[in-house]
Amino acid sequence: MDYNQIIEYQADRYPYLFFDRVDELVPGSYCVGYKNLTMNEWFFPIHFVNDPCMPGYLQAEALTQICALTILSLPGNKGKTILLLSCDELRLMKKVRPGDKLVLKTKLLSYRHGIAKGEGKGYVDDKLVCSSVFTFALSDMEGRQFPTPKQKKS
Amino acid sequence: MTNLEKYNSVFCETLQIEENKLAGLNYQGTELWDSVGHMTLVAALEDAFDIMMETDDMIDLSSYEKGKEILRNAYSIDL
Repeated sequence: MDYNQIIEYQADRYPYLFFDRVDELVPGSYCVGYKNLTMNEWFFPIHFVNDPCMPGYLQAEALTQICALTILSLPGNKGKTILLLSCDELRLMKKVRPGDKLVLKTKLLSYRHGIAKGEGKGYVDDKLVCSSVFTFALSDMEGRQFPTPKQKKS
Repeated sequence: MTNLEKYNSVFCETLQIEENKLAGLNYQGTELWDSVGHMTLVAALEDAFDIMMETDDMIDLSSYEKGKEILRNAYSIDL
């Protein structure tokens, strides 16, 4: 899946789209892609001035974006936006620098009632650099009437 | 891990709450138990106990205690 195909499914856009290409995608199951990092990335000049490295939360975002494709590629979900609900067990093992190719391997753990849970790992030169478990929802869940308990009258 | 420990763990992790605050906890009784939090909680309970909850049960799950009752009576989970 190249950039033009990616933006058909994924609502995030440059400079907040954190992958360049998708190599493997099985809807409802797993997704693998990558991001080639150059010094032109908007965050390198400021994070940090003398020690450019990709912010950890953006690595978590990249994993989430890739994993989101597992549900965005399911029928009826194409192009919808994704809301990150939680990001747990984030581990950042090694700095990701200009010139690195960040390979993102993600797996959908569950998808129920519009809420998805996934896990992902990032690699540079086959070495693990980050990992996370995250929960996200399709944006149209926001306006949807969830089956929730009735609110108590005060 | 017993079923009760699993049940408590789902509540604690999803709602980011200490175990000693679970007794008497109601829907919207803590910051994260809002409508989205409720569905996250339902999804986590379904994952943990390998069940699919009926819509009526999701609506009835109005408290920590009520949830135990629902899992026991409707899904035969020994809590």
